[in-house]
Amino acid sequence: MKPENRDIYELLIIAGSFLLLVPFLHTHRITDFMIFCIFVLSFDLLYGYMGRLSFGHLLYLGAGAYGAGLSLRHLTANPLLAILLGIAAACLLAMLAGLIVVRATGACFALINLAFNQTGWFLVMSPLRGITNGQDGFGIGAMRLGFFNFGSATFRFWFVLITLLLVFFLLKRVTSSPYGVLVRSIKEDETRVRFLGYNTYLYKWLTFVFSASVAGLSGALTALNYAYVNPNTMDVHKNVGAVFACLIGGAGRLYGALIGGVVYMLISNFLPLYVLRWEMFLGLALLIIVFRFRRGIWGSFEVWLSRAAASARLRAQSGKGAPVK
Amino acid sequence: MSEVLTIRGLTKRFGGLVAVNGVDLRVEEKETVGIIGPNGSGKTTLFNLITGLFQPTAGQIVFMDRDVTSARPEQRVAAGMVRTFQLVSVFNSLRVWENLVLCVTRFDAAHSSIWKFMTSPATGGTIRDDCYGVLRLVGLEDKAGTMTSELSYGDKRLLEIAIALSLKPKLLLLDEPLSGLSDVEVVDILNLLRRIKRDVTIIIIEHKVSMIVDFVDRLCVMNEGRFVSEGEPSEVLRDPAVQKCYWGKEGTRGC
Ligand SMILES: Nc1ncnc2c1ncn2[C@@H]1O[C@H](COP(=O)(O)OP(=O)(O)O)[C@@H](O)[C@H]1O
Ligand SMILES: [Mg+2]
Repeated sequence: MKPENRDIYELLIIAGSFLLLVPFLHTHRITDFMIFCIFVLSFDLLYGYMGRLSFGHLLYLGAGAYGAGLSLRHLTANPLLAILLGIAAACLLAMLAGLIVVRATGACFALINLAFNQTGWFLVMSPLRGITNGQDGFGIGAMRLGFFNFGSATFRFWFVLITLLLVFFLLKRVTSSPYGVLVRSIKEDETRVRFLGYNTYLYKWLTFVFSASVAGLSGALTALNYAYVNPNTMDVHKNVGAVFACLIGGAGRLYGALIGGVVYMLISNFLPLYVLRWEMFLGLALLIIVFRFRRGIWGSFEVWLSRAAASARLRAQSGKGAPVK
Repeated sequence: MSEVLTIRGLTKRFGGLVAVNGVDLRVEEKETVGIIGPNGSGKTTLFNLITGLFQPTAGQIVFMDRDVTSARPEQRVAAGMVRTFQLVSVFNSLRVWENLVLCVTRFDAAHSSIWKFMTSPATGGTIRDDCYGVLRLVGLEDKAGTMTSELSYGDKRLLEIAIALSLKPKLLLLDEPLSGLSDVEVVDILNLLRRIKRDVTIIIIEHKVSMIVDFVDRLCVMNEGRFVSEGEPSEVLRDPAVQKCYWGKEGTRGC
């Protein structure tokens, strides 16, 4: 199979999988799922690929949401431009914060990000209340530009689906490039990468900014999908969802992020309907993943595939007459 | 002949401990210098200073006529100073050939722009072929597709040296490349090093003197952070000062 064809088939399979959900869920819900998947993809680049676990990535989702929302309120009536401005807001913020945070690793990295996220939340809640309307947030009015009618749930569904596919395709390209190898190498041993002649600080910063920009995109889409922005969009507690989604799907795998994103959304949307204190089950599931199921759903699937291929090869060899003990 | 590396009065303190104490060293182009000495005598720390992992407490490092004392490690690598590590250091989570991707792309004009570096596939173009080419040099070609974590210790050493060579070193610093290897593997690696000896300047740390005594042009003996003797290998080994500090502590098992 030609690589270009393969890309197209993969994108079609992803699109088809989300379309399969249509008979079972409201389109609005599925759109929500897909936006979360974009966020998990951005989180996975930072966590799964580069090995930097952030507890404050929601800040950039929030920046995207407020960036897009405020643009639509005050600057422009063009929703596409507003999305771009939302991404730009997250990108700029990450360019500045990144200068500091990428110096840290491990728990420090996680906590500095958390501190920035909390600061952002506080700013939006109180000192910037005049612009953001504090806790209550603000609604976004008519969001139509010709064909691009964000007032329609169906249009939003297709728009977000195509955006998700584009993000997936972009990340796939990027993670299978030499840069992708660099990012995975930094995860394993950053010092060693420096001794290959690479300025790892620069690339960590770049990855951080890139990841935050994609998070900003998911934030801008959140704002458009709800026609509403409030500080909840950058609630640090939601960060756990992204970690969980990466782990359950398989960290460091783009398919893992998609599967994990959908599974987490299904659990967090529907388990509370049947079970009180559903978070407890989330905690239990996390324990099982960490101790028994390290590779997540997609990682385990890959292992199963390669084992099946190996045993098929063995069988083919023994079929040729070589005696097998 | 010109000097590749000149070190003057290099010193490193860790709290009260002086790990490297006023070391002077000159290395000429294409020369092979061996550094021996008991455990904890400061050999690895000296490498860490030369390559920029640590900043020296005092002293100066000149590499290819440039003062690199405060240059970052990656800048020294870019200038042609390449090292290996005492504990073999390869990327276990990558496939064997992927370990070389970042090395070969550094010299590939098609990847000089960040855009190409970030979007062209690592398996495409000439990258993969170049990686396999490097592996062929060290005889690891048939293991190119396996996970690095599954390699034997000796193969990891070979891979690490392959990584170093693919960075086109002008000066190659090898920190105990023979330790922990079987006799057969030692022969493999020494053969490889003999092949490259004519083209690269080498500084090699080794614990077992006998292994490198015919390989190096010059031998330096380190003890408690200082060079206690330096010169032609057979003469250095006859030096009473060396016999006292080295064999006195270690016994004669190593040679
Ligand atoms: N990062 C460090 N921090 C503190 N002490 C160190 C560090 N690295 C090495 N040392 C000390 O410096 C001395 C020399 O160590 P090292 O250079 O590794 O010796 P060698 O390689 O000759 O066996 C040892 O006493 C060691 O404990
Ligand atoms: Mg050492």
